[in-house]
Amino acid sequence: MAITDLELHSFVRLPTIADVLQTLADRHAASQKTVVLAGGTDWVVEQEMAPPHKPGAELPMVVDISRLSDLQTIHLNGNLLTIGAAATYLQLRRHPHIGMGDKRAALLARMAQDLGALQIQARGTLGGNLATGSPAADGVAALMAYDASVVLQSVRGERTVPITEFQTGYKKSVRAPDEIITQFQISLPTHYNWYWRKVGTRRAQAISKVALAGVAVVESGQIQRIGLGMASVAPVTAALRNTRSYLCSAPLHKLTGAELDAAVNSDCSPIDDVRSTRQYRAHCARVVVREFARSLGAPV
Amino acid sequence: MNLTLTINGTVHHVEASPTARLLDVLRGPLGLTGSKEGCGEGECGACTVLLDGDPVNACLVLVGQCEGRSILTVEGLAHGQTLSPLQQAFVGHGGAQCGICTPGMLISAHAYEKSTKSLVTLRESIAGNICRCTGYQRIVDSITQAEHEDRVQTFGTVGS
Repeated sequence: MAITDLELHSFVRLPTIADVLQTLADRHAASQKTVVLAGGTDWVVEQEMAPPHKPGAELPMVVDISRLSDLQTIHLNGNLLTIGAAATYLQLRRHPHIGMGDKRAALLARMAQDLGALQIQARGTLGGNLATGSPAADGVAALMAYDASVVLQSVRGERTVPITEFQTGYKKSVRAPDEIITQFQISLPTHYNWYWRKVGTRRAQAISKVALAGVAVVESGQIQRIGLGMASVAPVTAALRNTRSYLCSAPLHKLTGAELDAAVNSDCSPIDDVRSTRQYRAHCARVVVREFARSLGAPV
Repeated sequence: MNLTLTINGTVHHVEASPTARLLDVLRGPLGLTGSKEGCGEGECGACTVLLDGDPVNACLVLVGQCEGRSILTVEGLAHGQTLSPLQQAFVGHGGAQCGICTPGMLISAHAYEKSTKSLVTLRESIAGNICRCTGYQRIVDSITQAEHEDRVQTFGTVGS
């Protein structure tokens, strides 16, 4: 699609979430396609790269949700952090419980700092990152490390899905066409260690070759709870289930590098593409998991 | 569709598709050609403008998303024929070479001075702006000098 084709889409900005949900329901019932647009940092690029628009074919209507303040609210209630799906990365970095102040969810701000550059951070959102479905999504890796819950809404009601069950395949998810992601809920541990490492071509504006987000609660020399999310090593963001199990299976001092590597290998299926190779990605995946485990006290 | 945008402090009414890119509306009907198109995919930062004070890539924002909001382009930095201290510093320190990245660099540097300094380092503030003349050091020097002059103007003296 050429840039001029972009202008052929119809466009609405609706005042409330309820209006958005009703519009999605009505259009879905009429078999009409709709694009729910937040920051647009992926979607606009995709339109420019798509093949030319066929004359007469119906283009999806764009529903702008980038300015719905109800979708941008971030608040902490006890240990429960709720983040509106359309909150931008810059809002995360500026928030008193995330990038500033008590930094209870500092991992999210650290991830946001490495995502694109300020221009992308000012537009991009966690909800968009998840809905777009890229396996390279840094924000989704961080949400997975926190074992976040995804809240979906439609006119049919609200449901909550664990983030590890949201993606069902490459760019596929459990989200129904009449649903939108409204918020993420994170139950923050009182005390925890976190880890973020992004391997990219350069510090800014890089799409991850591999990125690892980690959250761990360590007590009496053993990991009691661990959350991991890894980008760019599988068709969907990798939850590294075997690696999680292994890391919690024994006191830290009994963990071995060889067994940890084997667990990581079993959790990843990286590919060769324009940004990196299968071999390098597999190597980086093992190295970053070892680095996180080492920071927790494992002799690996 | 008739859209209302506040650009460089002035309210504009413009006839455009709401799904046109902000960059095309700025450069086309509004005639503000200072913002450049480099990559057209949010990588190079040549089209950087401020949207309600924060830097964005005008090539990735639909103009309909900007209705009623405030936009600052490079044309809004100077006061008439007088360059802003930041622009003067770019002239004085050779911060511009071929000039294509300059409007975006100036806007990112302006955002750093006005709002993002508490969040990022100077170099991080321009990390989303690519200069292919490899002039980053002179650009950093220019922004540093402008900061210094700003402090001189504010406090009368520096370092004493």
